[in-house]
Amino acid sequence: MKRSVFALALAAAVAAPVAAQTGIPKAVKPKDFPTQPIEYVVVYPAGGGMDVTARLLAKYVEKSTGDKILVNNRTGGAGMVGHTYLATQAKPDGYTVGVLANLVWGDAMLRGQGKWEYTDLEPIGYLNSDALTWVGPTDGPLKGKSLKEILQIAKDKPGTIRVATVPGSMWEYLLEQVEAASGAKFLRVPFQGGGAGINALVGGNVDIAQGFFAEFRGHLDAGKVAPLAVASNDRMPYLKDMPTFNEALGGKDYIWAVVRFVVVPKGTPADRKAYLAAGVRAAMSDPELVAEYRKAGVYFDPVLVNSTSIANDLNRYAERERVFYQQTGRLK
Amino acid sequence: MVERALNVFWILLGVGAAAHAWTIGLTGPSGPESGLFPLLAGLIVAGAGVALLLLPSHRASAPAWPRGTALGRVLGVVVGLALMAFAIPHLGFAAAAAITMIVLLRTVERSSWIGSIALTIGAVAGVMWFFGHVLGMSLPRGPWGW
Amino acid sequence: MGALEGLATGFGVILTPANLYYCFIGSLIGTLVGVLPGIGPLAALALLLPVTFTLTPVAGLAMLAAIFYGAMYGGSTTSILVNIPGEAASVVTTLDGHQLARQGRAGAALGIAALGSFMAGTASLVLLTFFAPALAAIAIRFGPPENFGLMVLGLVCTLYMITGSAVKGVLTIALGFLATAIGIDVVNGRDRFTFGSVNLIAGIELLAVVIGLFGVAEILANVEHLARNTLLAERIRGLWPTAADWRASWRPILRGSGLGFLLGLVPGGGPVTAAFMSYAVERRIARDPARFGKGAIEGVAGPESANNAAVAGSMIPLLSLGIPSNAVTALLLGALVIQGIQPGPLFMTQRPDLFWGVVASMYVGNVFLLVLNLPLVGLWVQLLRVPYRVLFPIVLLLAVVGTYSANKNVFDLWVMLGFGVAGYVLRKLEYDLAPFVIAFVLAPLLEQSLRQSLVMSPDGAMILVQRPVTAALLAASAVLVVLMLRRKRPSKGGST
Repeated sequence: MKRSVFALALAAAVAAPVAAQTGIPKAVKPKDFPTQPIEYVVVYPAGGGMDVTARLLAKYVEKSTGDKILVNNRTGGAGMVGHTYLATQAKPDGYTVGVLANLVWGDAMLRGQGKWEYTDLEPIGYLNSDALTWVGPTDGPLKGKSLKEILQIAKDKPGTIRVATVPGSMWEYLLEQVEAASGAKFLRVPFQGGGAGINALVGGNVDIAQGFFAEFRGHLDAGKVAPLAVASNDRMPYLKDMPTFNEALGGKDYIWAVVRFVVVPKGTPADRKAYLAAGVRAAMSDPELVAEYRKAGVYFDPVLVNSTSIANDLNRYAERERVFYQQTGRLK
Repeated sequence: MVERALNVFWILLGVGAAAHAWTIGLTGPSGPESGLFPLLAGLIVAGAGVALLLLPSHRASAPAWPRGTALGRVLGVVVGLALMAFAIPHLGFAAAAAITMIVLLRTVERSSWIGSIALTIGAVAGVMWFFGHVLGMSLPRGPWGW
Repeated sequence: MGALEGLATGFGVILTPANLYYCFIGSLIGTLVGVLPGIGPLAALALLLPVTFTLTPVAGLAMLAAIFYGAMYGGSTTSILVNIPGEAASVVTTLDGHQLARQGRAGAALGIAALGSFMAGTASLVLLTFFAPALAAIAIRFGPPENFGLMVLGLVCTLYMITGSAVKGVLTIALGFLATAIGIDVVNGRDRFTFGSVNLIAGIELLAVVIGLFGVAEILANVEHLARNTLLAERIRGLWPTAADWRASWRPILRGSGLGFLLGLVPGGGPVTAAFMSYAVERRIARDPARFGKGAIEGVAGPESANNAAVAGSMIPLLSLGIPSNAVTALLLGALVIQGIQPGPLFMTQRPDLFWGVVASMYVGNVFLLVLNLPLVGLWVQLLRVPYRVLFPIVLLLAVVGTYSANKNVFDLWVMLGFGVAGYVLRKLEYDLAPFVIAFVLAPLLEQSLRQSLVMSPDGAMILVQRPVTAALLAASAVLVVLMLRRKRPSKGGST
């Protein structure tokens, strides 16, 4: 299989800094820890993208460290219940670990009501990122059109093209940005998640859906959806012909991705935190896990992969999101 | 008496819900907003409460409320469950369940001490084994680690 | 690959000792999980997902699927014996099933439930085998307007379940709508009726409501008269359904199978809705509806068949299109993804071994479950002889763990208790609780799909008439309402 130079560079960027470390050095393991299974908390329902990521991670951390890990779905309120639990109730004793996405920042800033801050959760490792992608139909009047052409139609005939969105989260934000930049006006049809929107697209009930590669891949292979654009910095290696929003709209702010990382509650003892972080690193350096993640269409953000302080880099991303909320009037 | 109080409660609940729904917003540019369905439901609840107050034929005929020991047993179960819900986060599942079960077995129905303790240990251990080990669920632990 | 060829492949795949073993284990665990109040197939599947990592995809999926439909077999057991539903899809079975048990006919009820489940499960699998792709293509076109039509029809069917005071019935349905308003409004992403509580943001958990209203309330009612040692009102009469039972049951089983299969197929349907609607249909069609609620075997045959058929129906969008129509199939999808398999429209042609292997495993699993459940009938019936004072603390303990298993949130236990007390009081005041539950289940999707339809329609509400399936469903609902009102008028003062 041919690989582009880009893909090779990306692979090298992932492999290089962690190539030295497989397995956990004995010195890192704290005394008397762990004596019971470690709980990996996932705030979304079992079977979803976040859950699959967490379970794959747990499998490989178990392999590297030999510790028993229980993945627990604490669901409800679109993640709010689990986030609040981790930030305010979970004991910082090293037995509770959160496998989260950057959606926690939005929850903390917009819906936390001041009861907790995202800094109450300390990142210990980066997993992967999943960029939001627009897909369109493969039959009907929009068949074969590029993103630019569709934006033009939406501008000339506002409110006629139906786009699936998930209110109150990045689906809506990306749509807002695109509309603001291009003057297009879409008809927003709300759904509970990206997957439901894609189903609606395949069933002919909306014209454009927003989702992640894992969600629409089956339909893509069967020729039922057509990729339009992706909200990431670089083109995706598995869909090289699909432009990024930055390219199509000429900017650099059209970045909307789910960033998945691992946290512990603030106050976890430093040695246990280091041990847990080492476990995650060891798992992430296992080429099998990387391959499994790649199959799901994720990408590895070079900034975060090569980060020397994952907490600082992730917090920078979080603050960038805060700026977006302030600019769009969602946050005072 | 209880039924009349309940009907008043329905009216208050329905009106309160409808009022709150009104403040959320009833209709938007594309149809109903968050408040519309709760408003209708609240109005129906309140209306039904009024109807029940006014129509004697729809009332229950002589409900048999518990008295004496029967009432004690019912309250015992309620208190037992409340105790358990309260204690689980602090004492862990095993301890809270054991205490509650013993209380229920001893007070709500006067089983012997030996029988109660045996049954409690067996039941709690069985549940912990099946849910904790076979299914792999993590039940809350108390300050003593289990 | 034709259907029969595919099935042959599938059986070839499944009939190995290892795969059969895991299918059996899944059936066993599913039965247990169905019997235990509170914990349902969703929680069990989530907990056992890691086990499938070490298995082959066929074995893993066969096991998980067996837990799903196994729970539908087991769920009727506690409903019939102790009037406490094993899970939400078995709530309606308590209405008549437990009355049959009190009359000493628990064996007949359990037997009909098991046999009906088997027949419906197998019949729906046959439909799946031959028509899966075509049905999936139809199911995918079910958009918000069609969902709305279906939910309205479901709601109208709920009206048929009201016994006694119509005012109280309508009140409980409205309460169901109010209760689901608590939480996040999906359509605009805002909270409503949460009053700042994190726990309420999640909304109220259905399982806690069901176990509270039907489990705790039942126990509270029973501890009043502990002088009566056991639940039996009369002695146990025979362990098997009689010929009369069969004559009464075979048509509800057929109807339940068809209805359940269709409701499992469409998004927003599923075993819970299927069971409720089957009960309502049977009640509506019966020549003597007054028997319902007092031990009518049709009230067990129909719903128990419907919930099993719904399982096969809900597997169709998953296997044929990679689209989950409910939380359990979403989990099955996740299990496949973790194994590196991406279900989608090409799944059937790219991995016929897996597709047909799973289908074949479901045939085999249904046989396992029949073999497991029928002999157990005798055992379960003996449970009725256990003194209640020993039984109820254990059942309470199981109810607590089961409810906790849904979200691992102690708040749900308070919800369970609150609804338990409420259910106890309301039952004394002759309120029907089943309509509340079905309204609670249907209301969110009804509201959501109506608002989605209005948003996506250029002509506003006209979309409901323009789309043929929606129009048909709404028309059927209107006809049913008219029929119901007309039935009430001649017998004014009598019961419905």
